[in-house]
Amino acid sequence: MSYLADDRKNETYLLMGNEAIARGALEAGVSVAAGYPGTPSSEIIETLAEASNQRKLYVEWSVNEKVAMEVAAAASFAGLRSLCVMKQNGVNVGSDFLLHLAGSGTRGGLVLVHCDDPGALSSANEGESRHFARLVEIPLLEPGDFQEAKDMIKWAFALSEEIKSLVMVRSVTRLSHASGNVTFGQLPENDSKAYFRHGGTFLDPLEGPLISLPVAYKHGQQQEKLRQAVDRFEDSSFNIYSGPEFPELLIVTSSACHLYSKEAINLLGVEDRVGLLKLGTTWPLPPKLMRKQMGRSDKILVVEEVIPFLEENVKILVAELAPEIGIKTFFGKKEGTLPKVGELNPDLVLDAVSKILQIDYEPAPQAYIKRAGELAAVAAPGRDLIFCPGCPHRASFWSIHNILQMDGRDGFVCGDIGCYSLAMLPTGFGTLKTLHAMGSGTGLASGFGKLGRFGMDQPVLAVCGDSTFFHAVLPALVNAVHHKSNITLVVLDNSGTAMTGFQSHPGLPVDAAGKEAPSIDISGVCESIGATVKVCDPFKLEDTQSTLLNLLEKETGVKVLILRQICALSPEKKSKKMYDMKIDETTCLGENCGCNRLCTRIFKCPGLIWGKEEKVAKIDDVICTGCGVCASICPSGAIIKKEVA
Amino acid sequence: MHVFGSSELLEDVHQKDLCIGCGGCVNLCPYFKNHRGKTTMLFPCTLAEGRCNAYCPKVEVNLDELSLSLWNKPYDGSPLGVYKEILAARSGKKMAGGAYQAGGTVSALITFALKTKRIDVAVLTDRKELVPVPKLVTQPEDVVKCAGSKFMASPTLAALNQGVKEGYGRIGVVGTPCQVMSATQMRCNPLNTEDFHDPVELMVGLFCTWAVDTRGLIPLLSECVDSACIMGMDMPPPPSEIMIINTGESNVEIPLDRIRPLIPKACSICPDMTSEWADVSVGVVEGKSDWNTLIVRTDKGADLVNAARKAGYLVTDKMPEENLQHLCVAAAGKKKRALSAAKEKGLLNTQQEGQRAALRIREDVVEKILAEDVEEVCRT
Repeated sequence: MSYLADDRKNETYLLMGNEAIARGALEAGVSVAAGYPGTPSSEIIETLAEASNQRKLYVEWSVNEKVAMEVAAAASFAGLRSLCVMKQNGVNVGSDFLLHLAGSGTRGGLVLVHCDDPGALSSANEGESRHFARLVEIPLLEPGDFQEAKDMIKWAFALSEEIKSLVMVRSVTRLSHASGNVTFGQLPENDSKAYFRHGGTFLDPLEGPLISLPVAYKHGQQQEKLRQAVDRFEDSSFNIYSGPEFPELLIVTSSACHLYSKEAINLLGVEDRVGLLKLGTTWPLPPKLMRKQMGRSDKILVVEEVIPFLEENVKILVAELAPEIGIKTFFGKKEGTLPKVGELNPDLVLDAVSKILQIDYEPAPQAYIKRAGELAAVAAPGRDLIFCPGCPHRASFWSIHNILQMDGRDGFVCGDIGCYSLAMLPTGFGTLKTLHAMGSGTGLASGFGKLGRFGMDQPVLAVCGDSTFFHAVLPALVNAVHHKSNITLVVLDNSGTAMTGFQSHPGLPVDAAGKEAPSIDISGVCESIGATVKVCDPFKLEDTQSTLLNLLEKETGVKVLILRQICALSPEKKSKKMYDMKIDETTCLGENCGCNRLCTRIFKCPGLIWGKEEKVAKIDDVICTGCGVCASICPSGAIIKKEVA
Repeated sequence: MHVFGSSELLEDVHQKDLCIGCGGCVNLCPYFKNHRGKTTMLFPCTLAEGRCNAYCPKVEVNLDELSLSLWNKPYDGSPLGVYKEILAARSGKKMAGGAYQAGGTVSALITFALKTKRIDVAVLTDRKELVPVPKLVTQPEDVVKCAGSKFMASPTLAALNQGVKEGYGRIGVVGTPCQVMSATQMRCNPLNTEDFHDPVELMVGLFCTWAVDTRGLIPLLSECVDSACIMGMDMPPPPSEIMIINTGESNVEIPLDRIRPLIPKACSICPDMTSEWADVSVGVVEGKSDWNTLIVRTDKGADLVNAARKAGYLVTDKMPEENLQHLCVAAAGKKKRALSAAKEKGLLNTQQEGQRAALRIREDVVEKILAEDVEEVCRT
């Protein structure tokens, strides 16, 4: 039983940003929540899924973000409050629906929470999803701390219901995954009833069909909704100014950057010189509030991450207000005071402020920085990004890499999004040669596979995980089959959305709340669309390699090899060893001709260690998962596996 | 002999398209694999010296060193190498028939050697579908299953390395000149391994003018005949300009013009037609399709041939002088063409800093071979 789903009004808890968001949704009386896993957003749906066992609430991990938006929108259309959650890329996936949804309008409060990942700590891009708010003309909110993360969600539901529009709420990694104190509000009883009213006219937002036609009329309505939102933004308590009445420098910021800015001002001791305008309602900007604040300072620094979204919007507004407030000097990403890429931190803001105010500030003595750098280079062990001990992907890519080398036609693998994206690095033997969006590996392969008439005879492979298969690979695979594209798709089926924490997906027999659900068989789906399908256990290297070579050489059209082996970290497998592994040190060839440390130099499972002094390989019993694969790669049979009784 | 590592092997052999796929580097370590006739390296190895490089017949092969080690005399470039006698031979009445290329001499010698425990295992070349594959054979009756020329470059020596790994100490090898050259380098213990034991008890060499690339020939064969029906292949000696594919029901002819582009580049620098480093070498006889030419080179070879003849496994006859002359001219011609090609490509006795030769032969011998009139040499 989760305390997050318990009333506990006025009690204060240390909550992760994502938990605060989930609590906010519960306090708002959310009825439906849908999302697709993606760091840093996943804990929101996970928390709500757990709460769904206590409260009247439906939560699902949808097949992808577009469907998640649709599922949440349906609840809103039926008059319920609903939430959809995703990481930044997810908004791209759902954006087609998003545009139409903005046009059709909503009924029950509908909030889209998107968690961006500045610096791409857990992403293949540093995508920015705030601009979707401007693009599709809907309101955007950005909480600046943990309490706000909860309170703002509640407010967003109310706003959405009032203006009958979807509202976006943006979090970032450092808010979603950091923790702070949050005081709980009341949890309402949920007695909502779902009913979709559709008998009215096209123009009736409450009783008519929900469509974006007639376009000009609905588009006009949308802009009117934005105007109403701006009215509420003008006196929103989420927009906070602190500092002198006429500051020498005004910092305009939002989200986690507001905390960095606060810290910088404090460390520099410039509270009497610098003003801080923390905005919670970042699109559209409230002009009256902005006029008041902008008019009191000549220098403006905009502190934000990823693209200069806020900076540009502030500049447009200030240009419009120039006759009243005069011309301002701007600092930020555009003119280079702040870096244009990567995450910000207090030091970077501190550096920017001290430069603008011409304060001589050294965050750390130069000699210290130099010495620390030198020591780090020699004393800290190299830590590559690697697959976990016993990871099935290591075995899979070992086979894929080796058969492509043996095939010798310079074949390549189009990558996709998952733990296995790491296969572009040495841990996956550098096997992946493209990496883009979810499902793009198979789409690219489908295209490559049609280039034979232009002389391309390289074997074309794609990989995807089991969750990714359902998310976005299916349309690409159907495309490849229909167009007789000559490709091999390897589905790395590790029975879960492993990278984000084993969330369920349509291939598994459970749903988000852990209840039984019908599972969809990947091999059956592939066969039914006309692909040649084989299934192997990637731990059986020889079988996997000969199957894959046969598919590559003998079959034309679309071939699918499903490599099925549960993730080493999955709850059902963790800490259960299949084999006890040991090294026969007398037969280990070590660095000699005939081996040259294949297991610790190339295969590099962290469960294998090179004994520098003894010049033999060793097993790290603490982390070895006992998968037994290394015994199959040892050329001298020195790695011995013994079945665990 | 100068030995380098796998990175030099890649640079000197693989990247120059000189790998013949003999299998000499396969099964020594996990890095080199041969698949469908092509040898590739799976992962880089960092060792400065390796057996892969030492055994390769296409890099830093010093023929003087091989000759001194085998024959106790420097390499003199004679067209047929060192030999005791040249005979016509075919399998005897103790051998049941088989899909022999010609007289079945190789099958007879190997069967006899296994039967009489002269060797424990034989390294032969089998075929999987159309692809030649190395095979270790211990049972005498299994030898004929590998009979018949494959014409395609094959990784036979992978089985030799496998046999050594499995602990066989008296191995019989049947190989083409490149394979015999590679195995001979191995027998010379190029890395000066302590307690080295030469695992090769018997070396049966095959005649070879050139091989055909496996990956090139198979699609061509499939284009011309139903590849599942192929029973055998033959390439009659010049002036015939055809390859004959026997499908059991009929013979299909493929013009050599279509085959020649599929000859590996590596064959163009091979100076050996008759497997000069073997105990005995076997080829066809012009005009006598059910006989072989048998060159007996060593005492061990002579002993085997005599014993096999006595036991009824082998029948021999004198080789007509005219055939000897033809054989010599062909072998001398190949040697001369190969050295000239190797020299032109900068692969012979390369001296430049940081560059390695494919072949090293004493300069006076090179000059002699390049200057000689092959007909003239073979008359004397």
